[in-house]
Amino acid sequence: MQSFKNKLYNYEAPPPEEMWSNISPHLQNEKVVHLPAHKKPKRLYYLAIAAASLVIIFIGSLFFNNSKQTNSGENISSANKVISPEQMKDSIVLNQKILESIIHNPKEKEEIVSNDLQATNIPKKYITISGPEGQPVKISPKVATLIVSADHEFPPKPVWSKKIEKWKKIMLSSTVSPTSAGLADLIELASNSEKIE
Amino acid sequence: MQKLLYDRFSSKMYGVCLRYAENTEDANDVMQEGFIKVYKSLSKFRAEGSFEGWIRRIFVNTSIEHYRKKVKLYNVTEVQENTVEDNELDALDSLATKDILNIVNELSPGYKQVFNMHVVEGYSHKEIAELLGITEGTSKSQLARAKGVLKKIIEARSNS
Repeated sequence: MQSFKNKLYNYEAPPPEEMWSNISPHLQNEKVVHLPAHKKPKRLYYLAIAAASLVIIFIGSLFFNNSKQTNSGENISSANKVISPEQMKDSIVLNQKILESIIHNPKEKEEIVSNDLQATNIPKKYITISGPEGQPVKISPKVATLIVSADHEFPPKPVWSKKIEKWKKIMLSSTVSPTSAGLADLIELASNSEKIE
Repeated sequence: MQKLLYDRFSSKMYGVCLRYAENTEDANDVMQEGFIKVYKSLSKFRAEGSFEGWIRRIFVNTSIEHYRKKVKLYNVTEVQENTVEDNELDALDSLATKDILNIVNELSPGYKQVFNMHVVEGYSHKEIAELLGITEGTSKSQLARAKGVLKKIIEARSNS
């Protein structure tokens, strides 16, 4: 069947000799047309576009993965730099112990009160700082303990240190004496400060 | 330039004209009309396929237009035709092209158009239906009948 089809498809026969002379008069006014160069099949263009897209997607995914890994690496390192969950837990527990020891130790309270009254020979458990206009700013014993321990950085309490640094800045510009009961106020002040920054 | 193009393709295209036309006179008319169309349409050639294929399509279409001017085609009731397998026409393979052409020319014009377009040129039944203004079902029926007639002609020739 293929052979039969091909024979018919390729069948050629010489046209009558006068055929051209019949056709040519109709072409007198026809302009010479330059045939366009043979274009590559569109299929090739589609394949090229598809291949290019795949390459772009592949490179993009590589870049994305790398940057994701880098970012996540940065996050991990910065998280490590700030604090690990265990460090945070240790820090909170220790600070809680210090606060409790101060609260439940009447002797210490008396010392603080005496000191606050004017005694100079009792070890200070609080900090009095000067505000921007020279006004004294009193820090409660509990917060003072936190600040002291944060300043000495032993044991390391990165979270508290950071917070306390902010509180210090706030307290420098305020006459409010924060207490442990007003810790929420401090945090709120710190939050406001962050917003302003 | 115009003559060169004519010299290059005239024999092939005249072969196409003879296959579709009912007689030599009609083939000559189609040949003339086809080449004029080719020259006038050269600027429309987009070079997305072969140039010969483009020219051949113009000649097939011109042949069909010429045929349709003369014959009004009617859709036939689609009935289940006794299909003739292609291998039943294998006997044609051993014949010379001229003899094959003579056998195909024994088909009625309607059958011959569909047979040439589908079997030889490779048009789909949908394309044939659009070009001839018939339904796809009619095209299929015409083809089945054309094959049936060819089979009978081949059998008759082998018996004689």
